[in-house]
Amino acid sequence: MSQIISKPAIRRLVERWLRQGKRVIAPVQVRPNLVSYQPVRSPDQVLLEGFVRPLNSIKQVVFPRHEQLFQYRVRGKQIDLLPAPLPDVERIVLAARPCDAAALPILDHVFNWEFRDATYNRRRELTTVVTLACTEYDAHCFCTSVGSQPNDTRGSDALLLDLGDQTLEVRCVTDKGQSLFAGQTEASTRTAPTGPGPERRADLRRVGQQLEQAFERSEWAAWTNRCLGCGACAYGCPACHCFDMVDEGGPTCGARVRNWDACQFGQFTLHASGHNPRNAQSQRQRQRIYHKFHVYPNKFGELLCTGCGNCTRNCPVSLGVLPVLEAIQAEGAK
Amino acid sequence: MRPMTNIYQPDLMEVLDVQQQTTDVKSVRVRFRDDARGDDFLFRVGQFGMFSLFGYGESTFNICSSSNWKDFVEFCFRRTGRVTEALWSLEKNDTIGFRGPYGNSYPMDKWIGKNLIFIGGGIAMPPLRCAIWYALENREQFGDITIVYGARRVQDLVFRQELDRWAEYDRVRVVPCVDPGGETPNWTGEVGFVPAVTERAQIPAGNAVALVIGPPVMIKFTLPVLAKMGLADRDIYTSLENRMKCGVGKCGRCNCGPVYVCKEGPVFTLEQLKSLPNEY
Repeated sequence: MSQIISKPAIRRLVERWLRQGKRVIAPVQVRPNLVSYQPVRSPDQVLLEGFVRPLNSIKQVVFPRHEQLFQYRVRGKQIDLLPAPLPDVERIVLAARPCDAAALPILDHVFNWEFRDATYNRRRELTTVVTLACTEYDAHCFCTSVGSQPNDTRGSDALLLDLGDQTLEVRCVTDKGQSLFAGQTEASTRTAPTGPGPERRADLRRVGQQLEQAFERSEWAAWTNRCLGCGACAYGCPACHCFDMVDEGGPTCGARVRNWDACQFGQFTLHASGHNPRNAQSQRQRQRIYHKFHVYPNKFGELLCTGCGNCTRNCPVSLGVLPVLEAIQAEGAK
Repeated sequence: MRPMTNIYQPDLMEVLDVQQQTTDVKSVRVRFRDDARGDDFLFRVGQFGMFSLFGYGESTFNICSSSNWKDFVEFCFRRTGRVTEALWSLEKNDTIGFRGPYGNSYPMDKWIGKNLIFIGGGIAMPPLRCAIWYALENREQFGDITIVYGARRVQDLVFRQELDRWAEYDRVRVVPCVDPGGETPNWTGEVGFVPAVTERAQIPAGNAVALVIGPPVMIKFTLPVLAKMGLADRDIYTSLENRMKCGVGKCGRCNCGPVYVCKEGPVFTLEQLKSLPNEY
């Protein structure tokens, strides 16, 4: 037996969640050809079909682009630090793509590696993630190359699968998912078939070994020559988590804030002395690939990549991890 | 569940003393505003902290005081950027922020019974100094101690007065040096670059470990000298200085290949460094 729900019923749920003061984040058609995860104001904004994937990711729900870490007040010699208030609004991410949800357990490792990040963990607790299995792909999708698939439930609290005729199958994965849909679904005998997903172009789970040999290859410059260093790959990535910390405000009051950053910028690793360990753009591209397929996997046992393809989709020169890894693999095969 | 603390919010520290070391280097002694926090505070020499001035930002500095000193924590900086420019105006009683201690440390326990060779250049004296004082305060645990410290000019030597105090200890040899042209008429130390001075000093290398910190070019030319003296790569230590923001393994910039300098460093042996890509 399976559980099903109609799309109109889902939209009624969205309306209820909004009335209850919850924040609902879902794919929204912002303008033609641009789908983006956004907080919605009304249920009919939520896209439940007809898109491949948003150009941003859901990481901003748990790891905002910009946030205050604490505030400071200076009065003479007296300094007071005021902790940033912990988030308290419940969030529901609806119709997220599985390649977005799968990044959350990846981020969990980073934000809990010995030192636990309080606001990140608080937002994680407050967030319920409902994914929508993919039925459409584009040329940049490569989840099947990183060992995932269009109905992967990693990081999901519940997974929705399209059965056609305005009906969705509901597969609850966690207690959070169960309680979100409790009493809202009907029993059915219909189950959604598992689609093949995008064409599997490589097995990138094992590319790390190859990378270990390729670090000093002179071809890195050629493989990444067209990179402009804009960082769009990192900002659109569901798993990239690098950040900067700076003070905003004046000498009497202000806040220490955290902003998204990207390893593609020259100043990212610039030493005070002027020395820069990653001085060339090719070294910074190499860092991004290594971090995802070698460094992180060696520490936490999984890739820092879910195969969403946003790095290439957002790239002004169509680079991104897959084209570079394919170039490396092609060299290796020679 | 116990609420998590904000790992990015610093403790407040009061400035006790500021010493101008050179034309552009100062050392600062600070004490926790919260006495209980100060009483609980423990660190190991070689660890670092994130020091901040509110409204200007944070910078990463080694804690250059000995872990045996309980009344204050000391750090040292060169005036180079936005934060250090602001720190330059620090006065007694001012308040700064501190997070730490972070990172691994010098394996002082592992060095017990060894002869110690400290080699540093310029602004690299602070990270050597904490270990030097620690060793002198536990003098009986260690063998001969040799300190080779160089700067461009005499007036660029950091903690210069302490060099003389160290030399008064039993079985301690201090070899100060300045680059050719950097000497003053009454300079009694060596004239030459650190690698050459180290070689000339004929330091016995048996049963020795070396801690070498300085500009990349100094390290590059000193390592072959140490190898020639007979030190193995696993007995040569350094401290990396990759740029950091969070200090706690999250912000993603200090990694040197597979290791995060903030968590798995900053102290590495040459043997370890040789297994890492050259990203430092």
